[in-house]
Amino acid sequence: MKKLGSEGVISPIWNWKITAVSFSLLIFVVFLAISFGPVPLEFQKIIRTLFGLPGGLTGQERTLLIDLRLPRALLAAIVGAALATSGAVYQTVFRNPLADPYLLGAAAGAGLGATIAITSAGADLYSLLPIFSFFGAILAVLVSFFISGKFFAEPNSLLLSGIAVGSFATAVQTYLQQRNSSSLRPVYSWILGELTVANWQKVIWSSTYIFIALTILITVSKQLDGLMLTDEESYSLGINPNRLRVIAVIAATLATATAVSASGLIGFVGIVVPHLVRGITHRVTNRGLLTIALVGASFLVLADLGARTLLSPAELPIGVITAFVGAPFFLVVLRKKRLVSQ
Amino acid sequence: MFTMFRKKSSSVFRIFAITIALSVVGLTPTSAANTNPQRIISLSPSATETLFAIGAGPQVIAVDDLSNFPASAPISKLSAFSPNVEALLNYKPDLIILNADATKALEVKAALEKLKIKVFLEKAPKDLSQAYVEITALGRATGNLANAQTVVTTMKSKIRAAIKSGRKAKKISFFHELDNTLYTATSDTFIGKVYKDFNLINIADPAASADSAGYPQLQSEYLIKSNPRIIFLSDAQYGESLATLMKRPGWNGIAAVSKKSVIALPEDIPSRWGPRLVEFYEFIAAAIGKIK
Repeated sequence: MKKLGSEGVISPIWNWKITAVSFSLLIFVVFLAISFGPVPLEFQKIIRTLFGLPGGLTGQERTLLIDLRLPRALLAAIVGAALATSGAVYQTVFRNPLADPYLLGAAAGAGLGATIAITSAGADLYSLLPIFSFFGAILAVLVSFFISGKFFAEPNSLLLSGIAVGSFATAVQTYLQQRNSSSLRPVYSWILGELTVANWQKVIWSSTYIFIALTILITVSKQLDGLMLTDEESYSLGINPNRLRVIAVIAATLATATAVSASGLIGFVGIVVPHLVRGITHRVTNRGLLTIALVGASFLVLADLGARTLLSPAELPIGVITAFVGAPFFLVVLRKKRLVSQ
Repeated sequence: MFTMFRKKSSSVFRIFAITIALSVVGLTPTSAANTNPQRIISLSPSATETLFAIGAGPQVIAVDDLSNFPASAPISKLSAFSPNVEALLNYKPDLIILNADATKALEVKAALEKLKIKVFLEKAPKDLSQAYVEITALGRATGNLANAQTVVTTMKSKIRAAIKSGRKAKKISFFHELDNTLYTATSDTFIGKVYKDFNLINIADPAASADSAGYPQLQSEYLIKSNPRIIFLSDAQYGESLATLMKRPGWNGIAAVSKKSVIALPEDIPSRWGPRLVEFYEFIAAAIGKIK
């Protein structure tokens, strides 16, 4: 057996141990996240409460743990998993290492949807913000699809129409904001991403959609590797590349739109985490998609812990942390990867 | 060829003539320095309220699209947030009240002054005394100084009375909610100082270092722990109320919620630093008065 990447060779086959390690990492990080906050809670009592043992937290402290910290940590995990997996899939589908989940206008579409909900003045639409941003994202990607014409005959034309649709949606959003200057702050804080209003209801609906999407993606992950070849080669492996791309993009978009509507635009997770996992494990295969999901989840849970504690009792937008921590870490991995391959 | 030249020269002449005409018109107020401005545009809802209160109302020809008080103010589609010089010129104003926080405020001011239009740059006051200074300055700039001074004196005595009636010996803690993601205002802000005048304890103050402007975002957990006795909702217009607060996880335990001391702030008044500040002080005094 070869040692991991010691010869600078990219080992193509996945190893279940890596997945197991990332799963343990996620569990650890979630425990860490629910143990810290402005109100000190005894760790032993937290454990007892979670496992329903006697001697756990009671009253307000129990509410803090069960209704505030836990849903927030779980929502961060779900959103992180969704963004990281969609990012990895987009990178494969478009054969572009810079692809991220917002590539096909999902972010701009969601932003427009959210802005419409915020600027609509009436109280009625404000509460529908998640729905508006969800459909905004889906709609933007659909429009990109139709504008690009033939489904995926050319990934590049889809990519370009995604950029055009995104710019258009951003223009309309800016126009609306300009006409309703009082909406500037809420829109801005939504764009920076926030998990502050996490609750169980949100956790349940977002995990439902994201679970469906990720299950589809992980099921086809083996075939996704075929997309890294030319279309002729993938046909010879029995893969229909165009159909696979459509399935992959639809599932990734469902996950992204759900994540965005639950937590706003959290950047960098979709680009950094897939590359991080590939860089550390020296494997480019999509069979690591589950691991990418787990690491994405851990990454966002940790980032949110930072968002909650760095300025405590105030909040820091989570998007700031993901980029601030993610970017340097990412550069280190990139540099190591380059040194190995030299 | 010749005709073309003539055409060109005539259009050049026309521009020249227009320029001269414009500058003559523009120069008139400057040459008669002591006359008061008669064509004022207010691009600030606070300034609009002040102008009408100090008797400068008849001199105002247009106000921005957010200046909804008083009802008699000539509201227009002009934007206070991103002022457009040409749109302003259309009204042939002689004084423009410009908010210092508007987009490119200094550039707009320079452009207007180049066109010989006077500009009053209105800065957001940091406290009540600065608000008084601003009202007096608007009086001076519009030729209503005596009225402005009277308005300030009346405001001072009414606000003093409101504070006296509302202030309690016992310290009461409160939370001022800007939106449902728990953005708030510390005692460093104008509105925070209003609460401070009543001796209230702002639970946001420990987070003051998080935002230099005084508008940090608080954590739900912290808010529940600090257990405010009153909650003021400035997002009531966005549908927040005691009922929606009760649905938030853990909020039932907060004294303000369980004792139903959740107060919807009126629209606009808390964000304007004009004469209606008196109403805001009286509103807060009445709200505190109900606390046992």
